[in-house]
Amino acid sequence: MKMKAMRLILLATALPLCSYAKLNVVATTAEYGAIAREIGGDHVTVSTLGKPTEDPHFVDAKPSFILKLNRADVLVEGGAELEMGWLPPLLEGGRNPKLDTGKPGRVQCAAGVRLLEVPATLDRSRGDEHAAGNPHFMTDPENGKIAAKEICDSFCQVDTPSADYYRANLARFTEKIDAKLVEWQKRLAPFHGKRIVTYHNSWGYFGERFGLKIDLFLEPKPGIPPTPANLAHVKEVMKAERIGVIIVEPYLDRKTAETVAQDTGATVVDVAQFPGGVKGTEGGYIELVDYLVNSIATAFEQQKP
Amino acid sequence: MLEALSIMKWPLAACLLLPGILVYLGLHIVRREIIFVDLALAQMAALGTCVAVLLGCNLDSLGAYAWSLGLTLFGAAVFTLTRNTQRRVPQEALIGIVYVVAAAAGLLLLSRNPEGNEELRRTLVGDVLLVRPVEVGRTFALYVAIGAVHFFFRKQFLRISFEPDRAIHDGLRVRLWDFLFYGLFGLVVTSFVHIGGVLLVFSYLIVPAVCASFLVDSLTARLAVGWMTATVGSLIGLYASFSLDLPTGAAIVCALGALLLLTAAVGNAVTGRTGK
Repeated sequence: MKMKAMRLILLATALPLCSYAKLNVVATTAEYGAIAREIGGDHVTVSTLGKPTEDPHFVDAKPSFILKLNRADVLVEGGAELEMGWLPPLLEGGRNPKLDTGKPGRVQCAAGVRLLEVPATLDRSRGDEHAAGNPHFMTDPENGKIAAKEICDSFCQVDTPSADYYRANLARFTEKIDAKLVEWQKRLAPFHGKRIVTYHNSWGYFGERFGLKIDLFLEPKPGIPPTPANLAHVKEVMKAERIGVIIVEPYLDRKTAETVAQDTGATVVDVAQFPGGVKGTEGGYIELVDYLVNSIATAFEQQKP
Repeated sequence: MLEALSIMKWPLAACLLLPGILVYLGLHIVRREIIFVDLALAQMAALGTCVAVLLGCNLDSLGAYAWSLGLTLFGAAVFTLTRNTQRRVPQEALIGIVYVVAAAAGLLLLSRNPEGNEELRRTLVGDVLLVRPVEVGRTFALYVAIGAVHFFFRKQFLRISFEPDRAIHDGLRVRLWDFLFYGLFGLVVTSFVHIGGVLLVFSYLIVPAVCASFLVDSLTARLAVGWMTATVGSLIGLYASFSLDLPTGAAIVCALGALLLLTAAVGNAVTGRTGK
C-alpha cells in the first residue's frame, strides 16, 4: 500500500515537471524565430542565429551557435539555399542527429512554398543566382502562413502532447494574417503597378502579393556591389519612369541609395526582411509586414505626382 | 568545460599543432629584420585565393591552392632577388609595396565577384572555428615534412639567416638557400592562411618570436619560450572566444598581443633590475 502511494505521489509531482520541459527551438533568421514564438507560445524557447540587421546570406559563425544547434530539438530554416553559405559547417560542428534533413526536428520552410524565379540554367556569369529559386519568400505574408504551418507540423510531431496548443496558436496566427491582408491590400491598392528600386532581388514576393514592381536593382548582378555604370542606368530609368521610392535593408550601403535618391528626387525607405531589423518592427512578423506596407505607402503618398 | 572542448576540439588541435613551425620560422624572420615579408606573402596567398574564386574554382580545390601557392612563390622569388643587392631601396619598402598592391589587386578582382566582400573578410580573419579535421591533419603532415627539411639542412638555413655575411664569405650559395627558405616559408604561410587568415598567420609568426627575444638569448631557449607563448596565447584566445562568444581568430590575435605586452613588461623589469 505504501509503495503504491509513493508511486502516485512521484507521478503527481513528475507530471507537472514534464509539462515544463520546453522545446528548444533554433531559427536561422529572425522572421522564423518570431513565427516559432507565435506558434510555440510558452511551450518553447526560441533563439535565432542571424541578427535581424545582418545579411542572411552570410552570418558570422560563433561558438555559441554550435552549442545552440547541439542542444536544439528543432531547427527552423528557410531552405532554398539561402543559408547554404554558413549553416552546413555549423551543423557539422553541432553534431545533432535530431536536426538531420528529413527528421521532424528539421524544418525547411521553403518546402511548402511555390518559389519564384527558378532558373532554367545555372550560369555564374549571371552573378550569385540561387539554384532553387528566389529564397526571399517570407516577404509575402501568404508564405508566412505556410511557414507557420510547417513549423506547427514539426512542433506537433516532436512534442505531441502539446499539439492542440500549437494548432490553436497556428489558427489564431493565420486568422490574424488573413484579416490584416485585407487591410494591407487596401492600403497599397492605389499604387498598383508602381515600380520600386532596391539593392538586391529580395522583394519579388512582396511585389507580387501587393501589385508592385520591385525589379530595378542597384546591383548590376546578384551579389555584386553597385557599379558607377549601373547606377547611371538606374537613375536614367528612374527619371524616365518617374520612380520615386528606393528601399534599402540595414546591412546594405545607405549612402549609395541616398545619392541616387538625391539625384532623382526619390525617397529612401529603410526596410528589413526580419522583425527587429528596423525600428518599429521588433514586435514580430505581422508587425514587420505592417511596417513595410505602411512605410512604402507613405513614401508613395509623399511623392509629388 | 566538456562542452567547450567538444565544440573547440578541432580549432584547439589546429592551434596546438600548427603554430610550432610558424614560431621557428618567425625567429628567422625576426633575425632577418624583414617582419613584413610574412604579411606580404600571406597577402599574396590571399590574392591567389581571390584569383581562384574569380575563375570559379571551389575554395577547397587543388586549383585554388595552386593559385595561392603560385603567387606566394612568385613573391618569394621577388624577395630573394632583392635581398641585399642594392642598398638604395630598403627591402622593407618593396615588401610593403607588395603587400599593399596584393591587397588592392584582391579587392579589384573581387569587386566583380558576388560575395566578394565576404571572401576578402575570410582571407583576413580565417575560419578557425570551423576548421575540418582533414585540413588539420593534412597541414600538420606538411609541416612535419617541412620541419624535417629545415632540421636536415639546419646548418645552412641558420647560417643564411643568422650570419649571412659570413655565409657569403664562406662561399655558401646564399641566393639558392634564400630562395629555398622563402619557398618553404611561402608554402607554410599559404597553408595556414586558408585556415587562420592573414592576421593570425602573421601573429603566430612574429609575436611568440618577439616575446622570446625579450626574455632569452639562445636559439633553443627562444624556441622553447616561443612555443610556450604560442600555446598559452592560443588557449587564452580559444577560451575567450568560447566563453565571450567572439570570433575565434581575432580573439587569438588579441590574446597574443596581450602576452606581448606582458612579456615586454617582464623583460624590461628584469633587465632594469639587473642593469644589463
